[in-house]
Amino acid sequence: MDSFLHSEFTLSESGFLFDHGTGLTYTLNETGRFIFQKIQDGSHANNLVELVTSEFEVAEDIARKDVDDFFRQLKEARIIH
Amino acid sequence: MGINVGITGLHATDNPAPGIGVIRSLKHPEGWDGEIIGLAYDVMDTGVYDENLLDHAYMIPYPNSGTQQILARLLYIHSKTRLDVIIPTLDSELALFQHLEPELRKHGISLFLPDSIATKRISKPNIADFCKELEIDTPKTYAVKDSGELDKAIKEIGYPLMVKGAFYEAHKCRDDKDTINYFNEMRQKWGYPVILQQMIDADEYDVCCVGDGKGGMLGALPIRKTRITDKGKAWAAITLKNDQLFDLSKKIIRDLKWAGPCEIEILQEKNTAKMHLLEINPRFPAWIFLGTGANQNLPKMVVDLALGKDVQPLPNAKSGVTFVRHATDLICPIEWLEKLTTGGELHY
Repeated sequence: MDSFLHSEFTLSESGFLFDHGTGLTYTLNETGRFIFQKIQDGSHANNLVELVTSEFEVAEDIARKDVDDFFRQLKEARIIH
Repeated sequence: MGINVGITGLHATDNPAPGIGVIRSLKHPEGWDGEIIGLAYDVMDTGVYDENLLDHAYMIPYPNSGTQQILARLLYIHSKTRLDVIIPTLDSELALFQHLEPELRKHGISLFLPDSIATKRISKPNIADFCKELEIDTPKTYAVKDSGELDKAIKEIGYPLMVKGAFYEAHKCRDDKDTINYFNEMRQKWGYPVILQQMIDADEYDVCCVGDGKGGMLGALPIRKTRITDKGKAWAAITLKNDQLFDLSKKIIRDLKWAGPCEIEILQEKNTAKMHLLEINPRFPAWIFLGTGANQNLPKMVVDLALGKDVQPLPNAKSGVTFVRHATDLICPIEWLEKLTTGGELHY
């Protein structure tokens, strides 16, 4: 899963994300930070909805929308391929 | 016995010369075992008034004053305050120091400079040909040698474009009126050729490198500028870990057999992620002090190289280190200005 990421990233507890390749920084909310951490840990995209559902106790359709939205934003920001 | 280093480029305004960053790097973290000699072109070169950075300041003639006059002045300074190494930091004086190097070396003054063939290959008028030879992408560039070529260059490049002086300055132009105005300004200020260059939608990165003169890259500090002034100068920046930037820089240094410091400016096209070489400045950048926070003290390395020491390549720069420039005021007694104005030297 880490191969999705175009370079090395550092994610802090506060949700501050630093891209070592471009020098750009981002601020992630709690859900974003959780998903990004799972991406860095190597979780498969298919498992992320399930992980979000269980971590935040939300319905699957809401979790799926959040994960899809987040992936779209990561692609737009060229953080993932 | 400590090493005495003479440094030029001490004028640190909103378009700062690199000399102050070089001196601060040499003195980091625990001072410099030797004396720092500021070589100033103007009594208002701001850095000469920083008594915490300099041990001595001497006025020197401008590079266009003639080599014999400048050599005589440097040898006078050497007779009063020993100069072991000189680090020139301005583009416009490089050819002069390349010319004087053998003579200075005879008197025990060392430099570590690229050869004139390498600097000619990467000069603004020749950079497009250099990129072609190395099969490196570069924005479309036209070196205009007289005003009759201007129309043709504009048509070939299209808008928006950059108009650049032969040594310094770059201005973004969106139409003929802007282009003609800046073309005339650059021509009057810096002479021909005036460079016209295509603007591409891209992220800009800089890498400060030191080459060993044999094709090896001994240090590299890649950055992204995070705040720039209206002149495009870095007011804040962050260090990076980026293999593409590193590999491209290494390729350039290897081909040129570059000796000493340079600043490589690279654009990464937003749509294609393709890397373009924008330009190479044959000197340290003004933000070089940032290297001290990223395990790349490149000015210290250049002093060792000038002295002929065996220098090993540094490990990769630490990424995520930032600098923020902070303007401050120096309070100076009038006697300092008096001594520089009337005697051409000041000793702290």
